[in-house]
Order: sequence, then structure tokens, then C-alpha cells
Amino acid sequence: MKRNHREISGTTDYSCGSGSRADSSSIGNCIKEKLWEEDHDAGGMDELLAVLGYKVRSSDMADVAQKLEMLEMVMGIAQEDGISHLSSDTVHYNPSDLSGWVQSMLTELNGPPTPNLDPVLVNSDPTSSNPQHQKQNQSRVFNDDSEYDLRAIPGVAAYPPSNSEPDSESTRKRVKTSMSSSGSDGYGSDSFFPSPQENGIPGAVTEFSTRPVVLIDSQETGVRLVHTLMASAEAVQQDNLKLADALVKHIGLLAASQTGAMRKVATYFAEALARRIYRIFPQDSLDPSYTDILLMHFYETCPYLKFAHFTANQAILEAFATANRVHVIDFGLKQGMQWPALMQALALRPGGPPAFRLTGIGPPHPGNTDALQQVGWKLAQLAETIGIEFEFRGFVVNSLADMEAEMLEIRPLEVEVVAVNSVFELHRLLARPGWLDKVVSSIKAMKPKILTVVEQEANHNGPIFLDRFTEALHFYSSLFDSLEGSGVTPSSQDLAMSELYLGRQICNVVACEGMDRVERHEPLTQWRTRMETAGFSPVHLGSNAYKQANMLLALFAGGDGYRVEENNGCLTLGWHTRPLIATSAWRLGTTESGL
Amino acid sequence: MVQNHHRGCHRQDHHGTVGENKEKRPKFFINDHVDILIEILKRLDCRSLCVAASVCRLWCTIARYDSLWENLCFRHVSPPPSSVRSVVLALGGYKRLYMGCVRPVRSRLGRIRKASWARDEVQLSLSLFCVDYYERLGGGGNSNGRLVGESSPSSLRFLCKPVNV
Repeated sequence: MKRNHREISGTTDYSCGSGSRADSSSIGNCIKEKLWEEDHDAGGMDELLAVLGYKVRSSDMADVAQKLEMLEMVMGIAQEDGISHLSSDTVHYNPSDLSGWVQSMLTELNGPPTPNLDPVLVNSDPTSSNPQHQKQNQSRVFNDDSEYDLRAIPGVAAYPPSNSEPDSESTRKRVKTSMSSSGSDGYGSDSFFPSPQENGIPGAVTEFSTRPVVLIDSQETGVRLVHTLMASAEAVQQDNLKLADALVKHIGLLAASQTGAMRKVATYFAEALARRIYRIFPQDSLDPSYTDILLMHFYETCPYLKFAHFTANQAILEAFATANRVHVIDFGLKQGMQWPALMQALALRPGGPPAFRLTGIGPPHPGNTDALQQVGWKLAQLAETIGIEFEFRGFVVNSLADMEAEMLEIRPLEVEVVAVNSVFELHRLLARPGWLDKVVSSIKAMKPKILTVVEQEANHNGPIFLDRFTEALHFYSSLFDSLEGSGVTPSSQDLAMSELYLGRQICNVVACEGMDRVERHEPLTQWRTRMETAGFSPVHLGSNAYKQANMLLALFAGGDGYRVEENNGCLTLGWHTRPLIATSAWRLGTTESGL
Repeated sequence: MVQNHHRGCHRQDHHGTVGENKEKRPKFFINDHVDILIEILKRLDCRSLCVAASVCRLWCTIARYDSLWENLCFRHVSPPPSSVRSVVLALGGYKRLYMGCVRPVRSRLGRIRKASWARDEVQLSLSLFCVDYYERLGGGGNSNGRLVGESSPSSLRFLCKPVNV
């Protein structure tokens, strides 16, 4: 090619006097023609171009020469920037594959010389991850798979008029190199990008001067995936939505190469990020019966809810030790799965069962179904079966802050001992200022002997989005790992539903803001501070609770992974080293009345 | 046990034709003494009890008596709580309690069991049993918590799964 190039230039120079319209009239042209013919006869340039697919008229030769020259320059620059390490750096490429890759490059150059061969495009950084430069191209809208360094490699030749071709080309490339060694896209995404600037010049591109190429083992796609997630979140944080969007799309691709928990987590987070970018917020006020179904599956597949229920029940049981009439107020009744176990324990209490009264609070359900009453009825049946005097009341409120203590008809202390139970409900109140305080004062007005609180052990309520994102990523990764990793293999439907339940939480944490963001998890230490400033003092969950929790977890076949830990009187359940949910118990600090 | 039964039959056959002095000695056929049979069967472990249940119809009926299973459940627990019986019977009976909860709990906890846990195991089993009953209650009437088509309550499903030990 180079040889012929020189010949072409030589020819061009030679015939420059006659200009690009080479007529056979002038002598120079005659000579040129001869040269052409010679070459043609010798199977040289013309044939070579014909091999490449160019059907070049001799009259256009000079033009062609010029364009080929430019192409060479492009190739030359490309070699310096992006391609050289493809050819020379065998860490990334399998040399045997390189030939195939080069071959595909050459075939791509088959397109007829188009006016796209501008000098401007010469500057295109083939390894650029900047989506904008691709967008600048004449009358083309690129899909920005900008992480696709590969796509910019064909550079100029990738801009033939047909729109679909580059995509397919790069798809082909992408697939090919990822098959050879998935290290190929390693040089793109693992470094954090400087924020690209918008250029006014069409086709011009910011050249990334520093592109640290990190050599990554091909097995580290997982790490790359995490990095891409973080980069995308950072882009959102910096309000650079285009880059974030491009990265999110790339996440989808990277996630496809993963299996298991990481893939699902990445997919959910990518979806949530996409929702945030496009401002398509999910409906939080979905049919509660749908969320109840998801919750039931989550209840069945993993021990978190069971742990929460059993430990809270143990605390309540101990608080009710000598009472004759007890009243439990449940801030989130849902299906009432917590109460059968408590009722059974009360029924078998030495000394006989107390009279058990339950007040369940829940969100409104669409339609006429009174879900709370149905749950109450079921519990009443159970109570009759096991011989407990039972009373039930259901309250439908939009949020806990709408509830007043007087509504609940609390009976005086001598008559009835009250316990308040909140499983994963209090954090929702943090969405609006003042709500939590209102609810806390309502609780105080109820004068409970014990307040049990179960919350996620995570900090998803920080002011900075990126921090929340990072925290959520770690938290839900552990959670998904535990779903996968426990030896119990629930049916795929159960597992999918549980994951969907968690996925909705992820969506809320990442995509929503303001009052819509209700999943405002806070760590145990923060809740402790809140409770203590509100006037509660902690009640230690005893060794019974600890023992029971341990036994419960041992029943789950993945019991090795789950850990129950005691944390200053509170119990936490975690997966390996990461605590995930925490149960704590509180009583009113002012104890003159001997509560 | 089974062999005794056979021997009993055999002896009957063999000695049936022997002289009158044999008739004076009571022939011991275990099936005539159901109370003794029950006492014996009460002390069996689960597997043997199930095997015994396939011996003959009488044994099958007896093996289904809940009191036998009660002993199985509370075998390692010093005096079983008194009020438990009515509760358990109401929730579905001891056999169900044992097969559904106690046995899986005991086998799963087998490797890390401590002696003091026996009572807690039973309590935990009772709680799980109660939850299971509650779910079974809801099967028909409550369409909110169950997907259409899902028939069996599954809060105890995690106990039924094979354990990767």
C-alpha cells in the first residue's frame, strides 16, 4: 500500500500541473496514463484499488490519492493512539486474532471515498469514550456506545453513509475481541474520565491526553462492571447526563458477561440509574397487594424477615411476661406473618395466655378489598384454634404520620400492656421533615412498655447521591449474594420475586428524590441516637433471642454465610461480614410510672 | 419387633396341635395386647415407627396415634409443657409437627447442636408450626398474599429443601 501510495503521490506530483482533471490531452497526462497503464498492466495500483473494491476512474486518481494520503495519516495517528497497543501489546490481544482484526479493518476501508474524509476527522481519538464526537458527525446520530473504543478505531472508514453498518461493525468487533480476550475493552472504561467538553467544530474531538491504560485480567469484568457503575453514578452526580447515559448502556453489556448475583445487581442498578437520567420515576404507589406478594416471596426465600419477626417477638414476649391483657400495635401489618408465632408463644406461656389485642396499621388498598380485616380474620381463627382471647382492629392510613394515638383507643396501663412494633417502617418517615417526630410523639402517647424497631443496617440517606449509590451498591450486592449463596435453592419464581422486591427498593434509593424516596435507610447508630434523643432507652435483647436467632439461621442451609451478631444489646443479621438488618428494642426513658 | 410377631405366629402354628397343657399357657400374640404394643411403639424412633406402620393394619393404625408422635417430639425434653397438647392438636397434631418441623429442625441443627438446645428446638419448631398453620388457613380466602395457582403454603418450604451439608 505504501509503495503504491508513493507511486500515487508521485503521479500526482507529476500531473499536478494538469490539475485533477486529468485529460489524456497533455503530455504529462500521457505519461501518467502510461504509468497508469503500466501499473495496471503490472497489476499494481489500479489493481490494488480494484482489489480493495475501489472502482476509480483515472480522472479521479489525484483525488483518490489525496484521500488515501489522509487515510494513511489517520491510520498513522490511530496507530499512535489506539491501535498501536493493540498490535504491540499482547496483553490485550491475542496476536493470532490481530490478523483477523486487521483484515476486518481493511475490508472496512472498502467504502468508496466519501467527502467524510476531512482533515478534521483525522484528529478523532480512536480510543475516545466521548460520545459527543460521534454525535457530531454529519447528519448522523450515533448511538453512543461510547465506551466502545473499538468503534472509533475504524475511525474514518466507519462513517460511510449507511447508518447501520458501523453499529454492526462495531458489534462484530466487540464480539470478536471479547471472545479473544475480554481485556480488549479494558483500556476504555476503567479509568475515570475527565469530563468531556462540547466542541463547536463538527467532528472535532477532545483528545484525552491522559488515558491511563490499566492492564486488567480478563476475569476482572466484575471489577470493571463496578467501576463503570461508579463512573456512571459519578457522572450523574456531576450532572453529566450524556456520559452517564453512555456508561449505563455499557453496563448492560458488561453485566451480560457476568453471572449470578453480580449480574442481577448490576442490571437493577443500571435500570435505576437510567430512570434517574431520563426522569422516568417508578410509581411508588403501586398496588399494595402486589408488593405484599413480593414480600411473601421474600419472606419465604431468605431469613431476614423471619429473623426480624422472631427477635422482635422475643423482646415483646419478655416485656409481656406478667401481663394479663396485652396490646400490640403493628405499624406495618401486611400479611401479619409475625403474629402467629407470638400468639403461640403466649398460648404456651406458663401461667396461661393473656388476652391478646392487635391493632394493625396499613396502607390503603385499591378497590373494596379490606386487606387488613382479612388478615385480622385469619389471625382470629388462629387465636380461636389455640385458645387465646383475641381482638383485632385495623387502621388504614396513607402514612404513619396521619395516625393519632387517640384513634387507637389505648386502654389505661393497669388494664393493658402495650407494645409497638415497626418492621422496616420507620425509615419511610424520614422522607418528610417532621414526620418522624410526629410519629415518635404518637408512640410516646401510647405509653408502650416496649418498642421494637427493625431496620436495614445501611446508610442510604446521605445528602450526596454518589455516597448513597456506593452504599446501596454494597448493601444490595451482599443481599443478592446471600440470596444466591445460601444452599437452599428456592424455585426460580420465588427467587425472582424476592429479587424484584429488592429491585424496587434499589430503584427507589437510586432513582427517586424528595418525598418519593422513601427507602431512606439509616444505620443502627443513627437510629440509636434518634431514639435516645427522643427519650427512649434501650432494652437489651436477651440471650434467648440470640439463641433463637442462631437456631433459626442454622435451619437455612446457607447458614454458614449468615451471621447473627450482638451489637450493644441489639441483634444484627448479616451475610458474612456485612450486617444487613438490625433489631433493637426500646422503652420510654422516663420511668417514674414504673414502665 | 417384626420377628417377634412372626415367631408368635409360628409358635401358634406349631403349638396349636400340641397337648392341652399348652392351652393353659397364654399364647402371647402381641396384637391382642394393644396397650403393650403402644408402649413399645412409643419408644421407637421415627424411622422404625414408619417401618412398623407398614407391618399390618393394626400397627398402621396405632402408628398414627398422635401420642406416639408426641413422645417423639418431646423425647429429649424433660417434662413436656402441659398446655402444649391442646395447642398442637389444634394446629394439626403431633405427627404433622414432627414430620414438618421437629425432624427437619433436629436434623439440620444436628451438627451444631448443644444439649441445652433441645427445649429451644421444640419451641422453635412450635413457632414454625404455628406459622405454617396460619399460612394454611389463608390458602383459600386470602387472595392477596398468594399468587393465583399457588396451592401450598410455603413458609416451611425452607425446611423441606435438601441441605447441602
